[in-house]
Amino acid sequence: MTTLFRTSLIGLALAGTTALPSLAADISWIYCGDRIDPAHEKYIAEWNAANPDYPVVPEVVGWAQCQDKATTLAAAGSPAGMAYVGSRTLKEFALSDLIVEVPMTDEEKAAYYPNIVDTVTFEGTQWGVPIAFSTKALYWNKDLFAEAGLDPEKPPTTWAEEIEYAKTIKEKTGKAGYGLPAKTFDNTMHQFLHWVYTNNGKVIDAEGNIVMDSPEVLAALQAYKDITPYSVEGATAYEQNEIRAIFLDKQVGMIQAAVSTAFLLNDTDINWGVTDLPLGPNAAGKGTLLITDSLAVFKGSGVEEKAVEFAKYITQPKIQEEYEAGGLAGLTPLRPSTAVDTMVAADPYWQPFIDGIEFGGPEPLFTDYRGLQNVMIEMVQSVVTGSAEPQAALTKAAGALEEYK
Amino acid sequence: MTSSRSAWIFAWALLAPAILYVLIIVAWPLIETFRLSFTDASLRKVVNYVGWRNYEKIFNETFLTVITRTFIWTFFSVLLKMVIGMCGAVLLNAAVPGRNLFRILTMPPWIVPMAIGIFMWGWMYNGQFGMISGLLQRFGLVDGPVAFLAYGRSAFWATIVTDVWIGVPMVTIYFLAAMQAIPKDLYEAAWTDGASRWTRFRRITLPLMSPAIITMSMLSLIATFNSFDIIWILTQGGPSGQTTTMIIDTYQVAIGSKKYGEGAARAVVICIFLSLFCLAYFRVTRRLQGVDKA
Repeated sequence: MTTLFRTSLIGLALAGTTALPSLAADISWIYCGDRIDPAHEKYIAEWNAANPDYPVVPEVVGWAQCQDKATTLAAAGSPAGMAYVGSRTLKEFALSDLIVEVPMTDEEKAAYYPNIVDTVTFEGTQWGVPIAFSTKALYWNKDLFAEAGLDPEKPPTTWAEEIEYAKTIKEKTGKAGYGLPAKTFDNTMHQFLHWVYTNNGKVIDAEGNIVMDSPEVLAALQAYKDITPYSVEGATAYEQNEIRAIFLDKQVGMIQAAVSTAFLLNDTDINWGVTDLPLGPNAAGKGTLLITDSLAVFKGSGVEEKAVEFAKYITQPKIQEEYEAGGLAGLTPLRPSTAVDTMVAADPYWQPFIDGIEFGGPEPLFTDYRGLQNVMIEMVQSVVTGSAEPQAALTKAAGALEEYK
Repeated sequence: MTSSRSAWIFAWALLAPAILYVLIIVAWPLIETFRLSFTDASLRKVVNYVGWRNYEKIFNETFLTVITRTFIWTFFSVLLKMVIGMCGAVLLNAAVPGRNLFRILTMPPWIVPMAIGIFMWGWMYNGQFGMISGLLQRFGLVDGPVAFLAYGRSAFWATIVTDVWIGVPMVTIYFLAAMQAIPKDLYEAAWTDGASRWTRFRRITLPLMSPAIITMSMLSLIATFNSFDIIWILTQGGPSGQTTTMIIDTYQVAIGSKKYGEGAARAVVICIFLSLFCLAYFRVTRRLQGVDKA
C-alpha cells in the first residue's frame, strides 16, 4: 500500500467521521420569546440525548417577528420543522397545505380543560399541540372603589354593575372607571371577545357560518358603547398593556387582564382584587376568551413524524406543568391536575382564570385571520368613537367577515 | 482585437457588476411584483393567473380614499419640511454667537435611530403619561388627558408632525449648504442700495436657491410618499384607518393578510406614482441644468 493510498484512506475515514453528525436530521424549532424557558431547555437536552439522530435545534425569535418568520420560511418552501404559533393561524396554514395534522387521541383530548382542544381543531382534526394558554379576569382597585363610595370587597358580577361602578368611579373620583383598549392592535379584538364569551355569543359556528350578527354580540357592543364615557379617555390610543400601565399608575378602576398582571401587582402598594369577568344578560356561565399558542409541524421539513413526536413529548402533562409552574410566561394551566389545585390553594388569585374556561370560547378560526382582526377592530373603534351605532357596525362587520372565513 | 473593441469590452467589464446588481436588486423584484399582481398568490402553493381582477378589486372607494389621504399627508409633510427647513437654514446662516452649536443641535432628529425617535413621539402623544397632554393640562388649556393618537384628525396630524421632525434636519442642512454658495457680494451690493432684509431674501436668496428648493422638494416628496415606519409605529394606520396611507395599506394586504397578488397590485400602483414623481424630478433637474448652462 503506497503512502499516498494510505493517506487517502485515512483522509476519507476522517472525512466520513466528521460528516457523521451532519447525517442527523435536525428538528428546527422556531421558539418565540427572549430566551428558552429553563424547563424546555432541560427536556430538549433529554430528548436530544435519547434521539441523537433527531436533535431538536431551537431558534429563539422575538414575539414580534416569530409568527412572520415561521410563515415566511414555510411560504418560501424552506419550512422550519416546528414553530410556536398562535393557534388562530392554524386554519390558514392548514388550508394552505403548510402544516401536518397532529391528531389527538380521546385520552389526550380529555386531559385538557374543556374547549382547549377546539382552539386547535379544524375540519374534525387537530393541527397543533397547545403549549401556552391565556385567559383573562377582572382586576379592580379597591382604594378607588372606596374613594368612589363603592364597597371595595364587592366587585361587579354583571355588565350592568360593571358599567354602573365605572360611572360612579368616574363621577366621584374623576378617574377612569374602566380601561377599555381599542387601539389598532390585535388585543382590541381579544378584549372584545371576552365580552362576547361572557354573553354566550359566537363569531363563527362549527359549520363555518358567520353568526356574529346576534343579540348576544349586539349586547356586547352596546355595553362597549355604554362603558366608553367612563373609560380611559381616548380608548383608541391604547392597547391592553398600555391600559395595564394606567391601572398600575392607579388611574383606572377596573381592567381585564391576564394572570401576569397579578405578578406585577404583587410588587406594588396597590390594594387590588381579581375576580371572574362580569357576565352579560345572556350568559350561560362564567366565560372568557381562550387564547392558545400551539406547536405547529410544518410540511416539507423531512422530519414531520419526529417533530410530531417531539411536540407531544414536550407538551406532556409532566413537562407542561413544570413549564407553567415556572411562572416566567404567566400562563393559565392547560390541564387540570393536583399541581394546579395546589397552586390555586396557595395563590387564590388564580381561581378566576380557571373559572372562565368552562364557558369560554376560542379565537375564531378564519382563513384570513388578519382580515378578521381588522374587521373586528374597525367595528369596535367605530362604536367607541361614536361614528357608528352598535347594530349598524355589527351588521357591516358580519357582512365583511364573509370574505375572510 | 482592435483597441476600440478592447476598450468596449473593458467598459462593459467594469459596468457588469453594477448592471448585475441592478438587475438582481431592482429589475427582477419589479418584474416579479408586476407578474404577481396578475395572480392570486397567497400562502397557498397553487398560484392562478387572474388577469386584471386584483386591479379591479382595489380600485374601490376605500382605496381611492387611501390614495387621496396619502397625497394630503405627503403634501403637508413636504410643505412643512420645506418651510421649517428654510427658516432653520436662514437662522443657522445668520451671524449669531454660538452658531456652530445651533448647527449641531439641529442634528439629533437625524442622528437618533428613527424607531427610537418615533417611540419617543408616541410617548409624548400619550394622554396619560405624555408630555404634551401634561403641559396642556398644567397650563389649564384642557380639562383632562388628551390622547392625540386616539382620534382620526389628531392622529393624522401627529404622524405628520413626527415625519416633519425627522425630515427637517436634512432639509435644513441642504438649504444651508445652498445658501452658503450664494456669492456674498450680491448681498453687499443690495445692502449698499438700501435693500431691506426681506427684500434681499426675496430677491436674492429665494431665486438663487430655487434649484435646491425644487430638488429637495422632489426628493422629499418621493421619500415621504413611501414613509412607512412613522405611521406603523405610532398608529398602525388607525384609528379606523384614518392614518392608513398607500404603503400601510399595501403592507396590511400583502404581509398582514398574505394576499401577495393583491398586495403586488397595490405596490404597482405606488410604483407608477413614484415613477411619475421621478420623471418630474428628472425633467425639472434637466431644465435647471439647462438654465445653469445658459
